[in-house]
Amino acid sequence: MFIGRDIDRIDVLDKVLGKPIFAYDLKVEGMLFGCIYRSKRPHALIKKIDIQDALSLNGIVKVITHADIPGENAFGAIKKDQFYLAGDKVRYIGEPILIILGESEKIVRKALNSIKVEYEDIEAIYDPFSSRDSTTLIHDTGNLLSYRTVIKGDFEQGFNESDVVVEHTYKTTWLDHAFMETESGIGYMDETGKIVICSSTQNVHYKRKEISKLLALPEDRIRVIQATTGGGFGGKLDMTVEGYIALSVYLTKRPVVMRFTREESFLSNTKRHPLYIEYKTGAKKDGSINAVKVNIIGDTGAYISYGETVCLRAAIHATGPYEVPHVFVESRMFYTNNHISGAMRGFGIPQVAFAHESQIDEVALLLNMDPLEVRMKNGLRRGSLTATSQLLTNSAGFLETLKKIEPFWKARKKQGLHTGFGLGCMYYGIGNTGVSNPSSCYLTFTDEGKIAFHSGVCEIGQGSDTALLQILLETLNVEERDVVLLRGDTDTSNDAGSSSASRQTYVSGRAVYDAALKMRKYLKSKGYYDCETLRGVCLLAKEEGLPVFEGFFDPPTSPVDSKTSQGIPYATYAFATHMTEIDVDKATGFCKVKKVHASHDVGKAINLKNVKGQIYGGIAMGVGLALMEEFVPSKTESFDSYYIPTSMDMPDVEIFIVEDEEPTGPFGAKGLGEPALIPQAASIVNAIKDAVGVRAFELPCHIERLKALIESEKDKWVE
Amino acid sequence: MVTIDFTLNGKRVTVDVNDNETLLFTLREKLSIKSVKEGCSIGECGTCTVLIDDETHYSCLTLSSKVTGRDVKTVEYLGNIIELHPLQEAFISCGAVQCGYCTPGMLLSAYSLLLKNKDPQDEEIKRAISGNLCRCTGYIQIIEAIRYAAGILKQNC
Ligand code: FES
Ligand code: FES
Repeated sequence: MFIGRDIDRIDVLDKVLGKPIFAYDLKVEGMLFGCIYRSKRPHALIKKIDIQDALSLNGIVKVITHADIPGENAFGAIKKDQFYLAGDKVRYIGEPILIILGESEKIVRKALNSIKVEYEDIEAIYDPFSSRDSTTLIHDTGNLLSYRTVIKGDFEQGFNESDVVVEHTYKTTWLDHAFMETESGIGYMDETGKIVICSSTQNVHYKRKEISKLLALPEDRIRVIQATTGGGFGGKLDMTVEGYIALSVYLTKRPVVMRFTREESFLSNTKRHPLYIEYKTGAKKDGSINAVKVNIIGDTGAYISYGETVCLRAAIHATGPYEVPHVFVESRMFYTNNHISGAMRGFGIPQVAFAHESQIDEVALLLNMDPLEVRMKNGLRRGSLTATSQLLTNSAGFLETLKKIEPFWKARKKQGLHTGFGLGCMYYGIGNTGVSNPSSCYLTFTDEGKIAFHSGVCEIGQGSDTALLQILLETLNVEERDVVLLRGDTDTSNDAGSSSASRQTYVSGRAVYDAALKMRKYLKSKGYYDCETLRGVCLLAKEEGLPVFEGFFDPPTSPVDSKTSQGIPYATYAFATHMTEIDVDKATGFCKVKKVHASHDVGKAINLKNVKGQIYGGIAMGVGLALMEEFVPSKTESFDSYYIPTSMDMPDVEIFIVEDEEPTGPFGAKGLGEPALIPQAASIVNAIKDAVGVRAFELPCHIERLKALIESEKDKWVE
Repeated sequence: MVTIDFTLNGKRVTVDVNDNETLLFTLREKLSIKSVKEGCSIGECGTCTVLIDDETHYSCLTLSSKVTGRDVKTVEYLGNIIELHPLQEAFISCGAVQCGYCTPGMLLSAYSLLLKNKDPQDEEIKRAISGNLCRCTGYIQIIEAIRYAAGILKQNC
């Protein structure tokens, strides 16, 4: 009834009317504006900070330093290694040192120029290889943040048995999330003395925990509310403005607003990890992939953020959606004095997909086989063992995604002189890697005789609120008007975990299902499904002291082995195949993406319209990753030099949905947010090879780079 | 400081503005029109789009002092909860909205296009919204929505 139906997003009416309140739209009487003074040096000791001139400016209320922090000056999603405000040392350009508070944005931004900091420079390290070899330490623990390996079978034997071997190195660079709404939030103290933060975020409970440590206050003295959020893509998982606002409110007892300009956002936001991937594949004559050896080197920047997560996730997914008997993957993440890299849609997998999909095509070429056939032959299916030797017993619709594409692949015809077609495939583990990542929620009744749905899930545009509501309505067999959604507020919800790792529909969806089953039983016992009205049930419930129905789900995973990464890192996987048609202008190097056929195994499409929206959006980001987006440290400051796809860059897209239902998911659903993006860049790179015979080993393959590649190929012919 | 008056969404307004004040600032901070968003402040993203005499402008680059006597429209002009504009209805039914931050600007660019071109081709639609960045949707459902609304509007007249 509700599952699979294209109901409209629950927030959409407000959104087309321009009504939603984003954090920066909020106003509180007497609000101060806060701004962060940031390091101008990549690696230095702070010798002296002079704030006197700034303080003497009219309208400046306070300048906050690390010494003012009442609790712990440390935060981090995985490990608490990042300082809110640097004390004696800075490790990247943009690292926060001070908070300046004043009566208006203008005054505060002006005051930034009056701050004087004396630094003593330390040698700065700008790439992971120098980091590996340098005696300069960025952190006392050494420059290697993380080293992970995936070992299955015997790779040497695997290569010995192989008939062909391909080997190449692939490189990617930093990307910015470039959400349209920059980081922002407001904070104030409410009448009970609670510190309330309302911000643009992908998680509320995590942020409350961090603020509680920062201020040395119990969590119940802090409330975090999610404002309407203008995109996240991983960039609003870490603490952005929240800690600074909370600290400012705490110290001044006044409401505070903070908002990053686009320049600040580019400067301070975490980036997609640049990965350097050495990749070797061995295959037998019949096309079966026999061995894969991968060496991944990543640059995590000055602090951890999600660096360890990306390191491990990239290693685990390095073989792509193929069954490979002999696997040896090493993955290392080094600290540098670059921008912090963190979570960005796909956690390293769009980068490794670029590598493994390029390799599969090369194998096909050497064996004179159809690239689709090679994928079909090796593709993961029920009964397959993944690279971590996880036996796939359910919901493994990879081959079906290929089959949907097959007729179009077979019928492909080059229209133009330099038309090319390419395939890109992926699999992606839904939820966090080999760790518990539960979600909880609860249901009760309102005074008005409705069902109150208390959800801690952050809707960042991806449509989770609507999907969760559909799951609830279907399970309870009630109408939309019967439910009131209370969401994204630590005071009115339980922890649902972050909106990341494509986990909300699957993990939180199952938690909602769990709560709804319990409420359903109650409704039934009160005669709701016979003749009692919801109002009537609510009155009875009130007399019983308003029962609360809690829902919970933690995907069944197991920690992976620390040496071999063998184990069950994810409870379920999404699969996808994209086929992309492009046209290349050989003279200029311009690549036009014309058409994408995108086929996704989502388990179950709860809302097809929203599923399509995710896929279209993912394709756009994939086009950016493949052809345009490149964040250059110290150069990229705005959309002037950071190009994201516009409407003119978008291809036509045809979508195919495979629904191989996941038994642990709500109504069979898995996740989609990241899978939508992951195979796209890979398919473009393969299409370029098909179109003009050159292979890109470095992304983005932007116009100049592609032109240079084409020209170097020409030179080869001349020689 | 100068006093300007102009038409905002069909009503005359008078407001004091500084010489270098942007229309974005005036609308948001002095006239409480919060649907006009800032995404970059340098004319690169289109989230601050408004219509001046039915042409799209980046309000972050428009000096308020320059709109004296002119007709300024924001998304509030298009429709309200009781009567949505066909474009708004189409944005809803086609799934053209995700986070919604680009939506007001997108709608205005689309509106301006349909005033001039009753039957736009896809390429024309794409061009008309090419100054409005959207990071979420990949534009396709937005283009569908504009095409759909054009059809409805044509039927209506
Ligand atoms: S804010 Fe005006 S174009 Fe970006
Ligand atoms: S819907 Fe998020 S930027 Fe367009």
